[in-house]
Amino acid sequence: MGGDFAPEAVVKGVAQASLSTTIECVLVGNEARIQALLDTVSYDPAHIAIHHASETIGMGESPKEALRAKRDASIAVGAGLVARGRAQALVSAGNTGACILACAREFRMLEGVRKTALASVFPRQTEYPGQDQLALLLDVGATVRCDALDLVQFAVMGSAYASRVSKVSRPRVGLLNMGVEPFKGGEVLAETYRRLRELPTIDFVGNIEGDDVAKGRADVIVCEGLLGNVVLKLVEGIAEVVTGIASNAVKQKRIWQVGMRLLSRDIRAIARLTDYAKYGGAPLLGFENVFIKAHGRSSARAIENAVKVAAKAVRDGVPQEIAAGIRAIR
Amino acid sequence: MRAAVRWRAVRVWLRAVRIRVRAALRRWYRRLRGRRGPAPVIYRWDLDKTYLRSDFESLRKIVRVPFERAEDKIDEPGVVALIQALKRSARDADGQAFVYFISASPPQIGRAIRKKLDLDGIDADGIVFKNQLHHLVRGRFRYLREQIGYKLAELLKARLAAPAGATEYLFGDDWESDPLIYSLYADLVGGRLDREALAEILVRLRIDPARLVEVKALAERLTHDDCVRRIFINLQRRTPPGRFRFFGARLVPAFNYFQTAVVLHLEGRLTLADVAAVGRSLIERSAYTRDQLRNSLDDLRRRGFIGPRGAVLLGQQLAAAAVLPDAPGRPGRAALLWRRVRSGRRVPGAEDGHDRAAVIDYPRLVDAWLAGGGRPGGEEVA
Repeated sequence: MGGDFAPEAVVKGVAQASLSTTIECVLVGNEARIQALLDTVSYDPAHIAIHHASETIGMGESPKEALRAKRDASIAVGAGLVARGRAQALVSAGNTGACILACAREFRMLEGVRKTALASVFPRQTEYPGQDQLALLLDVGATVRCDALDLVQFAVMGSAYASRVSKVSRPRVGLLNMGVEPFKGGEVLAETYRRLRELPTIDFVGNIEGDDVAKGRADVIVCEGLLGNVVLKLVEGIAEVVTGIASNAVKQKRIWQVGMRLLSRDIRAIARLTDYAKYGGAPLLGFENVFIKAHGRSSARAIENAVKVAAKAVRDGVPQEIAAGIRAIR
Repeated sequence: MRAAVRWRAVRVWLRAVRIRVRAALRRWYRRLRGRRGPAPVIYRWDLDKTYLRSDFESLRKIVRVPFERAEDKIDEPGVVALIQALKRSARDADGQAFVYFISASPPQIGRAIRKKLDLDGIDADGIVFKNQLHHLVRGRFRYLREQIGYKLAELLKARLAAPAGATEYLFGDDWESDPLIYSLYADLVGGRLDREALAEILVRLRIDPARLVEVKALAERLTHDDCVRRIFINLQRRTPPGRFRFFGARLVPAFNYFQTAVVLHLEGRLTLADVAAVGRSLIERSAYTRDQLRNSLDDLRRRGFIGPRGAVLLGQQLAAAAVLPDAPGRPGRAALLWRRVRSGRRVPGAEDGHDRAAVIDYPRLVDAWLAGGGRPGGEEVA
């Protein structure tokens, strides 16, 4: 029961999911508080169970220490419930580090997987009609540094996820690098390039440069966690700065206000496309169980969509597809 | 050897005596109950959205309703099993249970409704319909949709005709004014709401003036008797349950008829087997799962309509009846039996400390009601 707007946003999101889907949700957190919130919204109790957990981990807390000190933290309890088969997927908008650590403690890694990867979806330019508007970037923070084999595994996991969830039959995989040439980026990236090139199960399109990330060249972009996280935060930061500049500029001149009014419909369309609430959350790939990390600032709608994404991943057998992909490259 | 034979004969004789004494006691108990006669119970049901899954969302669908055949009418999940269980339960306990329907639909659809009830195996003791033609002929279109005055008057008429000492359970839904109508009726009959205050409220609610006169006249003939035990509101529209808290604990907002059955079981109106029958009907006819029924029971516990201990016990008993999933660490039959004996066959339920008929602040409630466009106002009343 984490996130900047928890528990209100989480409870409302799950309440909405209980009315719009047949997904059965288990809310993990303070039972009395959750019920008090449920009393104020429309919901279907048949689709909602509550599992009491007395503690929460704050967004600013150290994941390791917090998990050690708070045995009854909602994320730890939730991960335990999934591991014991009480639920099939875990969704959280809480402290990312604590979420990953709790999953690592409770979930089993898929056979052959060496490191898990946090994948994030982001809107990109489409190249042809009907192309998915979203691409997958992984890893965005579950690891810091990786070797070539880890990156190859990330490519396999990302490809499996995209083929199952985004329904792209043969996703195009790119490697985030500082140049398109195969030898660029140092030994690890050059070796990854060589291995991916030789893999028949992956549609490898080569290296992707920073300016190509938002273009439609690849459906899955692979990089190590440090780089992926920087890219993700940079994009979010630029979006915020641009929005800030635009709203300040509008206040200064009347002519700009008029211009903004004229453009408002298109701006709203762009905002809808880049609205993270629409995409739910980011999957943590490599475990036998599904975990979807929702944005810390998730609204009720974002949580509802994260729940739907998690259910879709379970229904479409994402972990099984990843396991098959990993087996094929061993 | 002879002693052993003699001892066996004594044991057989003792057993025979025990059986005879038990039978005599049972006869005596039945005669005693028969002489006193348990108070009759009246279940008053709204029809549309409470018994029938009526669809009034568009004009086209409203127009289609009078032409619907009985076979085309769809009942709310679990409602048929519940009403049948209420009747059966009273019959088994040598008591009387009456089921009445009050509908704001015109009498022209009565034939189809009666046939639908027949098809469902519901033995209704009476149905009242609203004479819409009366308003239509006089061009009083506003009163076609007016329910408060009509239903209140019909409830009062029915109360005056009811057997003395009869207790009542009222069933409605969250689409229109049932919570308010039923609460006004319960408080008026119970003597908590005086006639002047009622008249003031009804004027504010802009009911048909002719109905106002009728309600006042009926109210004057009333003998005060706190007969309404519970008001059940079927949350068909999924109205947040918190919005009903100002109606007091007497009103139970229920998301499905399994929840209603559980509360009626706690009231002593249904046996455990009846609750199981309602649950089973939801599983078999409405695609509910056992986990969903478990969630519904837990929801009832969290909202305070059943105590934690009662919920655990009932959960175990319903799991034994294969209606709920097995809870981890379920005790054996002996332990269950012992618990049942210890609890005196009654599941510890809605806390007795709950003031069911808490005094409702009607002026504020009506303010919120009007502000909410004729629906529970929720936070506005806080």
